[in-house]
Formats: sequence, C-alpha cells, structure tokens
Amino acid sequence: MRLLVIEDDPLLLHSLSEGLREEQYAVDTAIDGEEGLAKARETDYDCIVLDGMLPGIDGWELLARLRREKKTPVLMLTARDAVPDRIRGLDAGADDYLTKPFDFEELLARLRALIRRSSGLGTSSLEIDGVEIDTALRQVRSAGEIVSLTPREYGLVEYLALHRGSVVSRTELYEHLFDESDDTLSNLLDVHVSNVRKKLGAGFISTRRGHGYSIE
Amino acid sequence: MKRLFQSVRWWLLLWYALILLCLITGLCLLSFRLTSNDRTVQIDREIRGFQGTFFRSLFASRPLPNKDEPPSLDEIRERLLNPGDVSKFPPELHALFSGANGGSYLACWDSDGSPLFISANSPDDLKPPCGPKDGSTKYVEQDHRREQHRVQPSGMSSIVGRDISEEQREQRNFGVLLALGGGALWLAGLGGGWWLAGRALKPIDTIGRTASRIAAGNLDERIQIANTDNELDRLGHVLNDTFERLSAAIERQKRFTADASHELRTPVTIILSETQRALKREREPEQYREILANCRTAAERMRALVESLLVLARQDLPASKFDPVACDLADIATGVADLLQPLANEHSITVQREISPAPLKGDPHSLAMVVQNLLSNALIHPPSGSTVILKTSVNEDGTVLEVSDNGPGISAEHLPRLFDRFYRADSARGQINGHTGLGLAIAKTIVENHGGRIEVTSDKGTTFRVVLP
Repeated sequence: MRLLVIEDDPLLLHSLSEGLREEQYAVDTAIDGEEGLAKARETDYDCIVLDGMLPGIDGWELLARLRREKKTPVLMLTARDAVPDRIRGLDAGADDYLTKPFDFEELLARLRALIRRSSGLGTSSLEIDGVEIDTALRQVRSAGEIVSLTPREYGLVEYLALHRGSVVSRTELYEHLFDESDDTLSNLLDVHVSNVRKKLGAGFISTRRGHGYSIE
Repeated sequence: MKRLFQSVRWWLLLWYALILLCLITGLCLLSFRLTSNDRTVQIDREIRGFQGTFFRSLFASRPLPNKDEPPSLDEIRERLLNPGDVSKFPPELHALFSGANGGSYLACWDSDGSPLFISANSPDDLKPPCGPKDGSTKYVEQDHRREQHRVQPSGMSSIVGRDISEEQREQRNFGVLLALGGGALWLAGLGGGWWLAGRALKPIDTIGRTASRIAAGNLDERIQIANTDNELDRLGHVLNDTFERLSAAIERQKRFTADASHELRTPVTIILSETQRALKREREPEQYREILANCRTAAERMRALVESLLVLARQDLPASKFDPVACDLADIATGVADLLQPLANEHSITVQREISPAPLKGDPHSLAMVVQNLLSNALIHPPSGSTVILKTSVNEDGTVLEVSDNGPGISAEHLPRLFDRFYRADSARGQINGHTGLGLAIAKTIVENHGGRIEVTSDKGTTFRVVLP
C-alpha cells in the first residue's frame, strides 16, 4: 500500500514516514501544500495523510482542489480540534479526521479502515478460496495455518485481494508496493508473485498475459 | 418577606404610599376645616341677622315717639319685658313666643341678672353670660348649640343661639365621605404606583436578564436600547461597551489559548510518535540515538514555547509593574550583541554597532529581552553575508533603539499583524531555530509596559524601531 504524507514540520514528517515505512507501507512525503498537491495528482495513492496547517496551500484548500480530480482517501491530521475546523475538513472531502497529538496505533487503524473502505470491504478480514487475509494483523492463513509471507509479498496479496475480480496491471502493482525512493527493478514483482504462488497455491494469483494479475 | 423588602419595586411603592397618604390626609383635613369654618361663619351671620330682626320687630310694632334717636336703656327694658302683640312679629320670630322646638332662641338679662326676656323655645339650662362688660361679642359652641354671648357696658346681657345638630350631622357625613374618598384615592394611587414602579423598573429587569444571559456565555448578545437617551439607555450603552470589550478580550484569550495549544501539539505529537515507534521493536543503538535526538528537539521546542508563554503571562499581569531602575540602553544592547555574536558568526552576518549612551529608567532584564528578540530575528531571517545595524540614541522623542537589516524585507501584507501573538510572516511553521512566533509579541508587550512604542518599516531591508520615554 502506498501512502502520501503531507506535513510541514520536518521532524514530524520524518517520524510519521519512518513509522509508516516500518509498518510496510510505501511512503512518499511532501513538506508543503504545492508539493503535496502535485504528488497527489500524479500518483494514485491508497491513502493520503494530510496536515491542516501548511505553508502555501493549506490542507483544506489542497483537499478541495484534489477532490475536483480524485477520490483518493484522505485522513486529515491537524492540531486544530475545533468542531468548525473538523466540519470544514470533512465537507471539503476528508474521509477521516485525527487531531494531534494522536496515538500512532490509532493512525494505523484508521489508515487500514480507509484503505479497506475505499475497496468496498466492510471488515478487516476477507476470505478467498480457503485463504483468509486479516488486514489488521497483516496475516494470511491457509487452511487455518498461518502462512509466512514477507511484508512485500503480503502487500501484493492484500492489494490483489482488495481488488478481487479485476485485473491489476504490473505498473499499478508496482506503484502501490514501492515508494518513490525505491528503485527496485520491476521484474522483482514476478519474483514476489512466484513466491506467493509457492506458498498459497499456483492458482491463487492468475496471470493475464499482457494485462497483469488478478485474484478471482 | 425579607425578599419582599429587598425588592426596589416594593421600596418605591412604600415611599410612594407614604407620601400619597400624607398628601391626601392633608388635603382632606384642609377641606374639612375650610367647610367647617365656612359653616360656622354662616351660622354666626344667621344668629346676628336673627337678633337684628328681633330688635327691629320689637320697635316696629310700636314705634318710639322719636324715631331718629336710638332707644334708651329703659325703653329697651320695657320692650323686652313687654314685647306687645306677637302676631305683628314676622313669622320666623313666632317660635320665640310659641315655644316650638328648633329654630333660633334669644334671652336677655338685666344688669342685676333678672331675666328681661327668655324666649319660649330657649333651652332650660340657659344662664346669663359672664365676661367683660365692653359690649363685645363672643361665640360659643356647646353640645348641639351655637350661641352669641354679649354683655353690654350697662350690664345688660344677652344670648342669641340656635340648634346646630343638623349642620353637625352634615359635617360628620362630609367627614366620612372625605375619609372614604381619600382612602379610595389612596388605594387607586397605590395601584397606579405599583404599575408605574413596574414600568420604570422593567428596562432594568430586561438589562439584568440580558446581562445574565451574556454572563452565561452568550457573548454575542447585547442589550436592546430604545435610543431615548435616558439614564437607563446610557446605562445600557455603558454595559454594552463593557460586554463588547469583555467579549473581545475573551475572544483574544480563546484564540491565544488555541494557538498556544496548537503550537504545543506538534512537539507532543513528535515525542509520542517517536517513542511509540521506538518501543514497537528492538532496534540498533544508532536508531535509538536518532529517535532520542528527535524527542529532544521536540522537547526543546516545547521548552522555548513554554518559557515564552510564561514571559508573556508575566508581562500581561497587572501586577507585573516593575520598579524602574536607572540603566543605559547602550550597555544593554552591547551585552546582548556580545551574547549573540556566535549566532551572527554562524549565519555569517556582520553586526554593525552604532551605540551611543541612552540612559533611561526601566527594567534592564526585560529590555535585554527586547533587544535579544529583535536582534536574533535580524540574525536568522536575512541571507548570509548581510549586515545588521544595532543602534541606540537619544532624541526629542525619547530613548531610541533601532535594529535594521538589509535582507529581502517583509511584504506589506504581513506588517500590520507582525506583532500579533503566534503570527509568522514566513508562514512556514515549525519552531525551527527556537522560533515560537511570540518574540515580537513579547517585545511589544515589554515596550508598552515601559510606556513606549515599537514600530517596523520594511522596504529593502527591515528596521525595527523602539522608542522609550
């Protein structure tokens, strides 16, 4: 899953992005409104963490402009906890609201919920052909047994499972699993797919030649 | 009951009732007295008229031989003893002889007290009057009778009187009527007074209610004023002005608290986020060091902010009036410039000192804070290689401190709000370099507490100018 964190305080930006990377998210960062808006327009993020008070374009304005083009889930993060600010944020198109200081675990849970909801999934776990995927615990079970996946393999399974039934292109997969600082070769994706097939069965991920991958 | 007597309306009514009672009683008494006097004067006139008619009739039936001369005492005596033919007397005098009840009566006595004429209708207990023998007339009222007593110099005395019980009854009735009318008027007055007091106090009540609603937190509400420019309207204006100022102060306070909490939230978030991240799994010592350093940076920011808030709070307190001591702004500026030299070196900025003696009375510690805030701003914002001029002088305005730089300047839109608390011209937040957004606000408060003013001009480069009295 790939996230964009827009926060003007360098120290907090560093802390947030490091924390999220450690949770196996691919994280891009932006330190002001303009940069944030440009990145949000350019890439289809799974979720955007947006600070309210930003130099240049502030968070509310950024959100309003972004909503004219994209439906990317946005979690607003702000030190302003007044009700009118929250209403303004939600009305501008924010999907969720978190006030500083917040609990990092809560931020993670809210991000998971937003990503899940944007894929139309109600609960944190889903089952496909006897394979159970728990997005909260980031665990995959096959026939009741925990299957050990690397974080990137898990990301691949989760992304495909959330887009179950549709064909996901290699580019899209690559975009959602690796952040802008990653310069891994794209054929690494094939390696991950082959590893997942070994662990969960050859038919779990099907290949559409020339189009991409899908989980039926 | 206690509550009743605490009510202004009741007190007003009480006073009003008392005054009205005095007024009505006075008027009633006066009117009773006047009528009574009027009645007495009329009765006396009647008595005199009756006496005149009697004596004229006494001599009219049998005229004296010498008509032009007044009758002698003997002639009078003789006529009184022997009035003659009663039928020739006018009808109103017949009762004197017939003895019918009521009407006027008359009696005359000789100088030795022997009766000369006692009318048949006279009361039984009639006695000759006593008094000075000067012919003067005395009116006496006793029981139901009013009489004229007269003793002539010759010693002859007379009493003419009549029964006045009818008049007395009428007078009593009139008195009762007056009392009833007065009482009714008083009660009606009380009702009117109660209504008037209520009407007069209603605006106060409205003001009171509005004020309580405002006090309860409805800060935007104001007292409705009728614009009649009476005392209550003026009170309303005064109260509305007070509420306006209070509301503005509370609004400022709210904004300040919100800003302060906002500024504190970011470092707290960093510390929380970093510590949670650190505790999540085992790490390399290098990573722990990095996380701790981040926490320290955040904590240092909080410390700077808390210190600034404290300074501001102290300067805001009315009790912060310091004892001014004689000091020299030149010395203070030199001291601060020396202290900040390392910062200037770090940013490669030359501090040009144009310091001349500038003695004044004030608090050297807070003044040093002013110089430090202005100078450190001038050292941080302009690009490296700039020159900052620190100048102290005395002119006709007072003692002047100037800090100017030749940096890019501050755009005009920011200038009016530059001294606002938590306002930052460069909108990039983050208390980087220990900047809390309170430095200029602190400088302004300190300067104003010294009775001075601070101003800023910015075109190419920025000049902060402090003028102290």
